[in-house]
Amino acid sequence: MIRFRKSTLAAVSMFAVMAMPAWAQAKTSIEWWYANGGRIEEGIQKIIADFNKSQDDYEVVGIRKGNYEETFAAMIAAYRVGKHPTIIQSSERTFLTMIDSNAIVPVSELMTKYDYSIDWDNFVKPVADYYLEGDRPAAMPFNSSTAIFWYNADHFKAAGFDAPGETWDEVEKQLYAIKDQGVAKCGMVLDSDFYWSLIEGYASINDYPFGTKGNGFEGLDTEYVYNKTPVVKQVERLKRWIDDGIIQLAGQGLSPKQLYTSGTCSTIVTSTAAHAEVETNAKFDWSATYMPHETDVSPRNSNIGGAALWVLKGKSEAESAAAAAFLNHVAKPETQAYWAEWTGYVPVTNAAYEKMKSDGFFEKHPTREIAILQLTRGEPTVNSRGFRFGNSNQSSAILVEELQAVWTGKKTPQEALDSAVARGNQVLRQYEALNGGN
Amino acid sequence: MAATDLGMVEEGRSRSSFPARRGAVRKWLAPSESGLKRAHFRGAGLAAALISPQLIILLFFFFVPSWKALSLAFVQIDPFGGKAMFVGMQNFIELFTSETYRYSAWLTFWFTLAQNVLTLVIAGALAFATDHVIRGRYGYRTVILLPYAIAPVVSGTIWAFLFNPSVGPIATWLQSMGYPWDPNLRTTDAVILITLASVWKHVCYDYIFLTAAMLAVPQSLREAAAIDGARPWRRFATVSVPLIMPTVFYLFIMNFVYGLFETFGIIDSVTRGGPAGSTTTLVYKVYQDGFVNLNLGSSAAQSIVLMVLAILFTVLQFRAIERKVNYEV
Repeated sequence: MIRFRKSTLAAVSMFAVMAMPAWAQAKTSIEWWYANGGRIEEGIQKIIADFNKSQDDYEVVGIRKGNYEETFAAMIAAYRVGKHPTIIQSSERTFLTMIDSNAIVPVSELMTKYDYSIDWDNFVKPVADYYLEGDRPAAMPFNSSTAIFWYNADHFKAAGFDAPGETWDEVEKQLYAIKDQGVAKCGMVLDSDFYWSLIEGYASINDYPFGTKGNGFEGLDTEYVYNKTPVVKQVERLKRWIDDGIIQLAGQGLSPKQLYTSGTCSTIVTSTAAHAEVETNAKFDWSATYMPHETDVSPRNSNIGGAALWVLKGKSEAESAAAAAFLNHVAKPETQAYWAEWTGYVPVTNAAYEKMKSDGFFEKHPTREIAILQLTRGEPTVNSRGFRFGNSNQSSAILVEELQAVWTGKKTPQEALDSAVARGNQVLRQYEALNGGN
Repeated sequence: MAATDLGMVEEGRSRSSFPARRGAVRKWLAPSESGLKRAHFRGAGLAAALISPQLIILLFFFFVPSWKALSLAFVQIDPFGGKAMFVGMQNFIELFTSETYRYSAWLTFWFTLAQNVLTLVIAGALAFATDHVIRGRYGYRTVILLPYAIAPVVSGTIWAFLFNPSVGPIATWLQSMGYPWDPNLRTTDAVILITLASVWKHVCYDYIFLTAAMLAVPQSLREAAAIDGARPWRRFATVSVPLIMPTVFYLFIMNFVYGLFETFGIIDSVTRGGPAGSTTTLVYKVYQDGFVNLNLGSSAAQSIVLMVLAILFTVLQFRAIERKVNYEV
């Protein structure tokens, strides 16, 4: 029944397109739904405006649909009734869901079809690899990030430290010292996406497995295993910091980053994209460095975050051509360099990275380079190359819920992680049952 | 309302021709005939034409969505709608065996009840006081009605900010009083916070109705009571309250509907259902599972459960409480 409805819709929309008068085809307009606000959104609108000015055939209309989850939900609701945008920005954790959705056109295929040559090898490796389906890129990396360790240099100096330590144990001593000496009210503020940075990212950097089957890369029958790794120790540490008032939770009504940029808390682990906000708002000597790691490991690359641009199926030739033209504009080194400089996201092509380097950008802004250096650190292992779990949004929500039960004292770290893994595996099995056949 | 009235007339008539001896439960569930109009249509054609607009609205806003929910409740489906797999009752079994779902049901029950009673009591007190506010009565009413004009998300954000443990002025005051207020870490605080915010938002609604109902209480009755020596509170409790009971009953149901279904915006902006799902009511869970987690099968199953609950409660309330309320003032 569902298949019938979809094909009918496709036929109807095809007909509608063909029936349009000729003048309407003079300029093809397509929509791009994105999920960023603030200064980042200004950057997006600038890229769109530049593209629209550069040619007369196509027009891109950018619409913000809320955060990543809201944009994704809006896109799905629209897709089911055939009113979806041509281009959608979707976060890194939706990768597998998008691939299995049967609703996308792989960007490499699209670009080849419309004769744009994109040098895919020029994309920064850990970023490009994440969005590969087999050996072809399924989405165009756009705003890629990773979490870095931001700190208030004034606070560290006041407590007698030059810089944050490299390991969690050293950082722990420093944060307790900052709190005990009364330098700051709290050592760290926990960002709302801490599950991405302090749990998943922690597993990547320290080379601990998150799930079996190479974190899901080798099959849908993967299972979460993070309840049997030092992630438990990490959660115990976070719980201890929360209990001792080292970590402050922002809660609703307040953005966690505000507690850092206002100088209330000394550190925050958050995306490199926070540069847009920190540079504007922080009125102290702020700085950033690599994420801490465990004492007995040699740190690996961290996990990527942010999102990529996907092209959806069910669009006319002209609309697909417009999408290809726009993505070609996005992939240009000048666009990439502008985007990375404006926002703090990592440059996703080597050409853009080289351009920024030769322009001396990183000498003026050393913290801007940390993310890309951290992403490319060492040879990626099975544990650090990324995650490929179905319905990842759902298991992340479960993980957060269980971790909050630790913060509130309802569960011990081990109990909560056992429960998160059991519930997460249920999600994976559901996904496998539905998508295992193809 | 017209359709319901006519329907009840016919039902009432057919029922009345049955022998009076019936099972106790049947009798209890039978519609009350008191206060119903005796007029009715002879032919079905005109009646059908007159109720059709209502039925069409019901069809599109109730029956079609309900059918969609029903059809989704028994499948596992990928969000894009391309792949679906019939799973029978599995979505329901998973729900009822899930600890989080049971907690959510328990929370919803207590939250709705507390919100309901608190709103009625506060609105009742404010409405009672209206008569006794001489100076600035206009300002008094305006201030009370204001919250209703503010969008739930906006007021929710303001509540979240005021009670934010690190920057909120009220939170700071509570902490200085020795109460370790922190809705991020203490689940009780979070539940208290959403209850207060929901009550605050809805008090004005109850207030309007109660003030109007109190104004409708005949002055002569109150004067008679005053002459007999009843103090204001006594007059209120023994003369006004029985006369405003129909309104209170109506508000009781409306508060129930509000608490169950319309506190979504408040919860989403004040706590996002956390910490650890401690403020996730049944409706908020439908949203979370359906629109954030994209588990459409489970979300549809949950809305079926909610629909059954809502129907059940409404029937019970009308049948059971209606008998204790005197509509024929």
